[in-house]
Amino acid sequence: MKLMGRDIPARELLARIEERLRTRGLPTSEPADVPEEGVEPRVDPLSFYLQALEEHSDATRALPLHTHRGGAGQLVLVAKWAFRKTCQVFINEALSRQRVFNGHVRDSYAQLSAEVIRLRAEVESLRAAQAGTQAPTPPSAEAPARPRRTAKQAKAPDEK
Amino acid sequence: MAVHQLIPSFVAGDASGQAALHLQLLLRRLGISGELYAGEVGAGLDSLAHPASALRPGPDDLVLYHHGIASPLSSRLMHLPCRRGVVFHNISPARYYTGTPLAEALVTGRAQLAAMAPFVDVALGVSDYNCAELREAGYRNVHTVPLFVEPQRFSESNADKALLARLSGTGPVVLSVSRVAPHKRFEDLLALHAELLELRPEARLLVVGGYEPGSRYFKSLQRRASELAGVHFLGRLNHAELVAAYRTADVFVSMSEHEGFGVPLIEAMAAEVPVLAYAAAAVPETLGGAGIAFDQKRFAFLAELVVDMCEDASLRERLLAGQARRLKHFSAEETQKALAKALGEDKHPRRRAPSARKKPRVGVVVQRYGEVTGGAERHAQQVVEQLAPHWDLTVLTTCAKNHLTWENVFPPGEEQDAHVEGVKVLRFPVTRVRNIRPFNALSKQVFDKPNERLREEHWVAEQGPVVPGLLEHLDAHGADYDGFVFFTYLYAPTVWGLPMVANRALIVPTAHDEPPIRFGVYADVFERPRALLCNTPEEVELIGRYYPDHAPARVVGVGVDVPEKVDPQRFREQYGVRNPYLLYVGRLEAGKGIPELLAHHRELRARFHDAPDLVLAGEAHMDLRGEGVRHVGRIGEQDKYDALAGALAVAVPSRFESLSLLTLEAFASGTPVLVNGHSEVLVGQVERSRAGRTYTDLESFISGLREVGEQRAVLSRRAKTYAAKYTWPRVVDAYREEMDRILREKSR
Repeated sequence: MKLMGRDIPARELLARIEERLRTRGLPTSEPADVPEEGVEPRVDPLSFYLQALEEHSDATRALPLHTHRGGAGQLVLVAKWAFRKTCQVFINEALSRQRVFNGHVRDSYAQLSAEVIRLRAEVESLRAAQAGTQAPTPPSAEAPARPRRTAKQAKAPDEK
Repeated sequence: MAVHQLIPSFVAGDASGQAALHLQLLLRRLGISGELYAGEVGAGLDSLAHPASALRPGPDDLVLYHHGIASPLSSRLMHLPCRRGVVFHNISPARYYTGTPLAEALVTGRAQLAAMAPFVDVALGVSDYNCAELREAGYRNVHTVPLFVEPQRFSESNADKALLARLSGTGPVVLSVSRVAPHKRFEDLLALHAELLELRPEARLLVVGGYEPGSRYFKSLQRRASELAGVHFLGRLNHAELVAAYRTADVFVSMSEHEGFGVPLIEAMAAEVPVLAYAAAAVPETLGGAGIAFDQKRFAFLAELVVDMCEDASLRERLLAGQARRLKHFSAEETQKALAKALGEDKHPRRRAPSARKKPRVGVVVQRYGEVTGGAERHAQQVVEQLAPHWDLTVLTTCAKNHLTWENVFPPGEEQDAHVEGVKVLRFPVTRVRNIRPFNALSKQVFDKPNERLREEHWVAEQGPVVPGLLEHLDAHGADYDGFVFFTYLYAPTVWGLPMVANRALIVPTAHDEPPIRFGVYADVFERPRALLCNTPEEVELIGRYYPDHAPARVVGVGVDVPEKVDPQRFREQYGVRNPYLLYVGRLEAGKGIPELLAHHRELRARFHDAPDLVLAGEAHMDLRGEGVRHVGRIGEQDKYDALAGALAVAVPSRFESLSLLTLEAFASGTPVLVNGHSEVLVGQVERSRAGRTYTDLESFISGLREVGEQRAVLSRRAKTYAAKYTWPRVVDAYREEMDRILREKSR
């Protein structure tokens, strides 16, 4: 276990408390619960939205029952459950067109996002090809914006 | 360039709303105007934030969108035809909410974050940790702009006395502040508390923050808490109650496993409570070596540590000293530096073109101007009149005539001052009419109690006048002026406009001891201008009492010019006044103490058959009926001085005065005064001049009036001697000296 703080005698404090725990007959070492390192990973929007549209395109499928209220909230939950059980056939009827529409939204989004991914890849490969064929411009003598390259570095690969 | 802010929700107690208000304050200090727009505007807060649908930015404007959990505003941001920015407040990891409706909203929030990245010019994270997540999501031009806290709002005096008393009792008291949510790990707090009870059976755990009573998580916490003694779920508290909770606590503990910043950590530091926190996500960064962070949740160990933090005086002292040092990193000044850097304002500060003019160009900012009644407004007009030969003056004001409603009456745009040659008047429309009843109700709620910034800003916005055009003018054209003179500390154009040009601003505060002067939002008004031009020594003393760090203050006051020919008989004949009379000239409304004056006069008439009449001159905003009461309406300058010269005495019934021009005008006319003894300023004027009497109740009103009648000749001589000191050349010199100081600095 680590104690972090600029204003505390961390080692002394640790030792003192461990000693007290020993006196009380308590274990002085417990399984470590080490915090996860790093930040949360990026969620790719294109694939996430496609997945979310797939998940929710069927408007007749109910979301999990939930209430934020105590007491009366439980009654509301029961009422919701009963409504779903007894009226599903009518829910399906009322939302059938919505279901078809959502399916089209999902499919067109899938097509558009696939197209975006294909175009991005194409742009990337064109940029890479362009960078490969264009020789770097030598920096001007008056105002060198970046550190000068050596003569060898300035050569394009095909000049070798 | 304006910087507008877009927030999903602007409601009281919401952290991103507070962050937006703080940013708006700092932007104004940087000279930048901008409004708040929200997807959801809390009830009654529409004077502070507009609906998101009303956002119409110009192409050079920047819109900063505050992003957290999923919001449709992220899509809107990507399509706005202007520069775009994101302020990232972080998103709780969805893994803690699997199976709840929140999980999807959290992941969607992250997807939206990544989707916005290519469309955003600048990204602000409130911590380095958040900035790392922004970079991970694909952002460039990322800057850390930390949140800040106003420590004075967490002082002992800001604590709710009733809750403080209710919470007093046994200890040690452990406090945790945050909404009750799974990733905050309240079950760990309960585990710690169970261990602490082993060591100190009287220990208490206070949990502050909103919760969903129906959620499975909260129910499980409740079940566990019912098995332990001393656990109190206090729910959401208002600001004063929150301060009471902090001020009751011996240790602040955070068991949270994810924090993008951790505002309660620095609030605890501000409230002088030692902090013990699990070192998750941005927590170590926010603590910055202060308090104690730990990496393992060994509850028996932590309970022993809590006891040490409560009972080891030297450890506690060192912790508090370190926290006080750390707190300085979260000041408005530090955040402003970071914000200026992020917006590039530090590299390109707004430079003013060197002035080639003979006369300095000065803007006079006042809430109303022209044919209006009001002491401060009249004061501003007189100053404009006197300074016009020396300065190139532009009056920046509103289209309002009535200070109760702020309805636009005068046409917007530029006009020439009707009375002073060469003075331009620029009028800006007021965007919000005031309804005085709800405003008075709001005042009752916020006066004489500690508030968070949002409630005070809300009051200022409701007080008005709200004139975004004037602020935009200061933003876009402020650099064209050499200096500014603001009139009256109280109103929104001063509170919001002065910080934009503070280094070139003088203010005539006309401050008196009234509840809003104690609002922290007025600190900028008294502390940031170059000088305060006050009316009396009492006003300077009053400002010093509430704002010890105020800008240099000097007593300047006004000059009083009595017309060459004054004829009391002319007034009597014109208005049919035959009996001796007591006179009041000014706004006739409750706030000026008129009901009390009428009541005293009524009683006087009942007791004495030869009691003088009461003549009231000015715009009436109340019923003025009564035996011997004469309301003559608004009168001109000549009539006023005729009336003053003929009065037995002039009554000044207001409790709230910063000068009382009426008192000085009465003195200059050789007429003694009978003033409200509850006003320090009026008492000071009477004591210094020895030309009047004060009253605090009916008896002193009657005896004062009798004495004034009996000694009128002596008092009249003293009044004239005193008034002779108030000359315009002296006043003009003072204004010019202060403005010259600004000009000299500018030319350096």
